[in-house]
Amino acid sequence: MRMGDRNQVRLLWGAAALVAVVVVFTLIYKGSTGLQWILSGLTVGSIYALVAMGFSVIYSSTRVINFAQGEFTMLGGVMMFTLCTSGGLPLWLGFLLTVGIVTLLGAGLERAAIHPLKDQSVITVIIVTIGMAIFIRALAKWIWGTDPVKVASFTGDKPLRFFGASIVPQSLWVFGLTLLAVVLVFAFFNRTLLGKGMRAAADNPDAASLVGISASTSSLVAWSIAAAVGAAAGAVIAPINFAAYDAGAMLGLKGFSAAVLGGLGSAPGAVVGGLVLGVLEMITAGFAPSGYKDAVAFLILILVLLIRPQGLLGKPADVKV
Amino acid sequence: MDKQLARPLDDGRDYRTLGIVTAFILLIPVWARFIPGDVLHIDIVNVMVLAGIYACVVVGLNLLVGYAGQISLGHAAFFGIGAYTTAILCTRIHGFPTWLGVMAGAALSGAIGWLVGKPVLRLKGHYLAMATLGLGEIAFILFQQLKGLTGGTVGILDIPPLSIFGLKFDTDLKLYFVVWIIVMALMLLSINLMRSRVGRGLRALHSSEVAADAMGVNTSTYKVQVFVLSAAFAGLGGALFAHFQKYINPESFVLAVSIMFITMVVVGGMGNIWGGLIGVLLLTFLPQVIQAMPQWIPGLPSALQNFSNYELVLYGLLLILFMMFLPKGVADGLGRATGFTEVRARRLGDRRRAKKLEGR
Repeated sequence: MRMGDRNQVRLLWGAAALVAVVVVFTLIYKGSTGLQWILSGLTVGSIYALVAMGFSVIYSSTRVINFAQGEFTMLGGVMMFTLCTSGGLPLWLGFLLTVGIVTLLGAGLERAAIHPLKDQSVITVIIVTIGMAIFIRALAKWIWGTDPVKVASFTGDKPLRFFGASIVPQSLWVFGLTLLAVVLVFAFFNRTLLGKGMRAAADNPDAASLVGISASTSSLVAWSIAAAVGAAAGAVIAPINFAAYDAGAMLGLKGFSAAVLGGLGSAPGAVVGGLVLGVLEMITAGFAPSGYKDAVAFLILILVLLIRPQGLLGKPADVKV
Repeated sequence: MDKQLARPLDDGRDYRTLGIVTAFILLIPVWARFIPGDVLHIDIVNVMVLAGIYACVVVGLNLLVGYAGQISLGHAAFFGIGAYTTAILCTRIHGFPTWLGVMAGAALSGAIGWLVGKPVLRLKGHYLAMATLGLGEIAFILFQQLKGLTGGTVGILDIPPLSIFGLKFDTDLKLYFVVWIIVMALMLLSINLMRSRVGRGLRALHSSEVAADAMGVNTSTYKVQVFVLSAAFAGLGGALFAHFQKYINPESFVLAVSIMFITMVVVGGMGNIWGGLIGVLLLTFLPQVIQAMPQWIPGLPSALQNFSNYELVLYGLLLILFMMFLPKGVADGLGRATGFTEVRARRLGDRRRAKKLEGR
């Protein structure tokens, strides 16, 4: 282990300790109210984590930041409304259909607009994803209108008591889905041939293509996974938050923040970043005037970046000369 | 190595172009009179003032993004700081000279740019993008929350029109000339800067920061300087915006506006001063044209008349198509289509070939 690595590890422990101190302080000082904040923080943090995973998957395979990532999550929410609440489909079928349709949409967008740009600079591709975000949002506004829609909870609304705090059953679905998604994505990239190949393609596309791994397939699969994870997040959070056509921008912003906080391109980093961001946000919302909640979150984020420019779990970038 | 660096930069082409463009733009209000507003359903002079204001920001941002290779997703913040500075000074202090307010807006914006740029510019790529985005969001929240100073979500109303030494610029047409002369002055400044030692240093920084450092270019200082300059330009644009609109509120300085500025730079052509200008004109007029289009066709069914429903659908789609067919920006595409800047195109060709030879 190099000296630098040891310092990095120490820094990480420092950050973890700092978060732990904040959490423990909140619990002691505010008791069950504090616990309530933390539980809500974990719920929104899980959603941030899922959106962040979408960013990470596309980034680690293509080096592109997908500004339309939040829109996949928005689509997950409003489609659940159409299929289950208005369409009357059973929840499990509606959920699978939602994820399936959005995944196809993600794959279709990749083939239509991203694939033809394969030799272009990253910033060009990023502007295309901005165009996609505007396009999808406007289309959703056209189809679903401007009023937020409410989706019924998966398993009732009776809150569960937990050490004086309460938690809606839907939150447990959110936690479960996040866990499942992390395990699946992690297993895909570390256990399957295609996933390993995609990591190779991201590392060195030319060398990977020489041994038969195509950067084109890699990009297509990455976009499909990102769309699927995003849609699943939107579908499972819809009963807690209202779903609306303009929800994507904020979700994308928070998800991107979480991905950078955890270290872009790292799936465990995305989860850590999402949860830390969600919990800190809710705690600051509790203590500070609520209008400043996001300002504090971004300030923390910038400070973390200044101390650790590659994010909490990211690897430092190699400098090419 | 970038071919452009080795080539002497003294052919004066940019100055000639600047002269032609200036003459053309200053004549627009004249020929716009021959197209009455009720034919196009677009108030050309009014939209051009807005475009000029955006151009102030984009010229500066192009220096930062296109030449120095540093991204910023928070320039709406500097735009806002300029706007709020002059708005607060001119509405709170009775008789405060508005031109001084505009200068103060640019200066304060530059100063804040220096304060935040110094630490933040140590970050690179997407991490820099994230940090500047965060700063932009913090500024937006402060605009909303510092109610005593900024008027909260309502904002500041009744901002007096710009006046310089007793001359009042209270109509769109009068403001048009002020704004575009300022834009041309900023462009002249940029061209001169790019031809100077600093400009060559910045280009070197863009091709390879490590190599530039090794050659004795003080990369970190240059980066901060160009960031401050772009922040000041954005502040100037924002201050003009406040006097143009006569009211401001935080909605004009959201993340989407920062993204719009970057999009203008990229759609026009990064690292090409004229490209930035084309990007501004294109993306300022595009929504107006899309909105006005149904009225061009007489007797259109009313369902299609109400275009606002799919205006943004079309806007997003066009943005995608632009980047797919002109990935290096409109300026480059235009240049190649007309052969007007043949030398430049050849240079671009060389650069691409050089990149290929360099390999990954």
